[in-house]
Amino acid sequence: MSEVVSKVKRDYIVGLANQGKRADTRAFNQYREISVEKGLIESAHGSALVKMGNTQVLVGVKIERGEPFPDQPNSGVLIVNAELLPLASPSFEPGPPDENSIELARVVDRGIRESKAIDLDKLGITPGEEVWAVFVDIHVLDHDGNLIDASALSAIAALNNVSPPRIKDWTLPEFPLVKKPIAVTIAKIGDKLMVDPSLEEESVMDARLTITTIEDGSICAMQKGGIGFFTLEELEEAYALAREKAEELRRHVG
Amino acid sequence: MIYVQIRELVVPGQLIAEGKYKVWDGAFRDGDKIYSSVVGLADPRGDSIRVIPLQGRYFPKRDDLVVGVVIDIHYSGWIVDLNSPYNGNLFVSDLLRRKVDLTKEDISRYLNIGDVLVAKVKDVDERMRVLLDAGGPGMGKVTKGKLVEVTPAKVPRIIGRKGSMVSMLKSVSGCDLKVGQNGRIIIEGKNIKMVNAVVEALLMIDREAHTTGLTDRVRLMLEKIKEGGENG
Amino acid sequence: MVEKPEKLLIDGKRLDGRSPDELRPLKIQAGVLKRADGSAYLELGKNRVLAAVYGPREMHPRHEQQPDTAVLRCRYNMAPFSVEERKRPGPDRRSVEISKVIREAIQPVVFLEMYPRSAIDVFVEILQADAGTRTAGITAASVALADAGIPLKDLIAAVSVGKIDDTIILDLNKEEDQWGTTDMPVAIMPRKKVITLLQMDGHFTPEEFKRALDLAFKGCEQIHELQKKALRDKYSIKVEEGQ
Repeated sequence: MSEVVSKVKRDYIVGLANQGKRADTRAFNQYREISVEKGLIESAHGSALVKMGNTQVLVGVKIERGEPFPDQPNSGVLIVNAELLPLASPSFEPGPPDENSIELARVVDRGIRESKAIDLDKLGITPGEEVWAVFVDIHVLDHDGNLIDASALSAIAALNNVSPPRIKDWTLPEFPLVKKPIAVTIAKIGDKLMVDPSLEEESVMDARLTITTIEDGSICAMQKGGIGFFTLEELEEAYALAREKAEELRRHVG
Repeated sequence: MIYVQIRELVVPGQLIAEGKYKVWDGAFRDGDKIYSSVVGLADPRGDSIRVIPLQGRYFPKRDDLVVGVVIDIHYSGWIVDLNSPYNGNLFVSDLLRRKVDLTKEDISRYLNIGDVLVAKVKDVDERMRVLLDAGGPGMGKVTKGKLVEVTPAKVPRIIGRKGSMVSMLKSVSGCDLKVGQNGRIIIEGKNIKMVNAVVEALLMIDREAHTTGLTDRVRLMLEKIKEGGENG
Repeated sequence: MVEKPEKLLIDGKRLDGRSPDELRPLKIQAGVLKRADGSAYLELGKNRVLAAVYGPREMHPRHEQQPDTAVLRCRYNMAPFSVEERKRPGPDRRSVEISKVIREAIQPVVFLEMYPRSAIDVFVEILQADAGTRTAGITAASVALADAGIPLKDLIAAVSVGKIDDTIILDLNKEEDQWGTTDMPVAIMPRKKVITLLQMDGHFTPEEFKRALDLAFKGCEQIHELQKKALRDKYSIKVEEGQ
């Protein structure tokens, strides 16, 4: 069930972009108002609710004993899952994960995994038999654009919120979260780049690029989405934007 | 016997009157008693009981002016999204006011998918099939402007008694407004700052429609922005 | 708690300090989501429940449309992190049954005939579970329906009652649900005092059943007050000075 965007709306937003403006008066390098509430779900071992403008994403982390992968017998396991709940948008339908929720989960996963944000090697219990499995469940509650950044921020905040004493028979001194990867999504409208697209902007954008960086500015994951394209100059501009904004967003993780 | 005051906030299942009254929108009768069916403002007048809803989707009614978005084309007309559970049907002759030779013309040159239009609801049948007419003055395709959506239930407040609120919005902002009963409003103006100010005003009315003194508060807010200088 | 506690009632007080006829702390807020047509957030004890309504809206698939009424659809879902042991995402048999009884608890009060050919979708999302999620879900869903502006004959209030150590209690928590003898979720239409949801597992004598229902009605009265308050609070505006 896709929604038809009216030409009037499309022309209005593109027209504004050409003048260097956005419909909600933000600057191109400005995020909407962000709030991060941590530890609100006690049944989870770590949790966070991120509000980015009107977008709301709740992440719960559960850590349980599980089996290791055969080729990494003493490493913990990371599983990231995303639910685009039907209550979050008229266009989300109940059912098994579709390409959008799978892409969302995998992009967030990549950011955490490739940056080695969690030192999985510390999460072994009995080599070859039992390790700690970290489940990161992304629950999208309200979709007003830029689910990727909100979900990634919520995921890392939830991981940072993990409280080891609440995990049954926990075997380690602490939870080994060593880095805080931050995803920054840049939308391309016309030939202008802007961060944190709202739902309206997402419906008219040509393409988007998500760049996930860690504390020293190096990139650990990227994802281009949408049917448009990026030039080399645009890629450089996007990378600079991503490094700049990631620092700001990281402060919300706590 | 009426148990509520005019403009009192009522909730579903709340007893608002008892006796031989005529029951209109937002209320229903159960035996001798009349209850509210929605969250809204009670409106008891004379021998009629009504509740003005504060929320709810748009329900097309004959003669309503609406702002629609074309979502489909077929041989002889268009299907129009009305921000309602019910779409509108517009036939070519109701847009152009003349006969069209459908074998020679491709009607997408008049209206295409994604186009916005202003139309009037010509008729609604019991199955909620809606017929539109877009040939009248001030109607038809809209090519530019800012499209805003508000709660349809708040549109009467945006128009105001005898059009007082919408006239004030136009005169203070210098923008033109087309207000659809279906909660969609087109704002057109050269000054972007004032266009955005009108959007702010509309959202404010949407939030505070149930309060008093609103017209003055909105005017004050608009004038403050206007005086704030040309830093669009 | 892994082992069954020796007693669930000590000196007339329950393990969490409540008396038998006391509700857990309850908080309800209306209109918490932007995209949904109506929504409500509810906390009852440690339960965290989010309910949302879309509709009336165009019904797909079209062949399931009803020519002269709206179709009410309900989906009850638990978040993977809502329970002690992570739950795999997606519906299981329990949530399918609960979705059905929630729909049947609410349907009697919705003016479905006013919206032919359309669908009204109700979503109940359990973010944290602490027993009584289906009744908390029904309570929240009613508020969400009213928040969406859908005409209703009344709100529906719901609560669970049960029996522990031979005492009839109101609003079971997780331990009482797990270790008690009986669990009976009830939903009522406060105005007409009729029952729209009734399920039970365990054991009641006829006399106990009557007392339990009585207690359920009393509990639902209190819940109903908070439902109405949630809807009213959304529209109470604090007038700012010097505006």
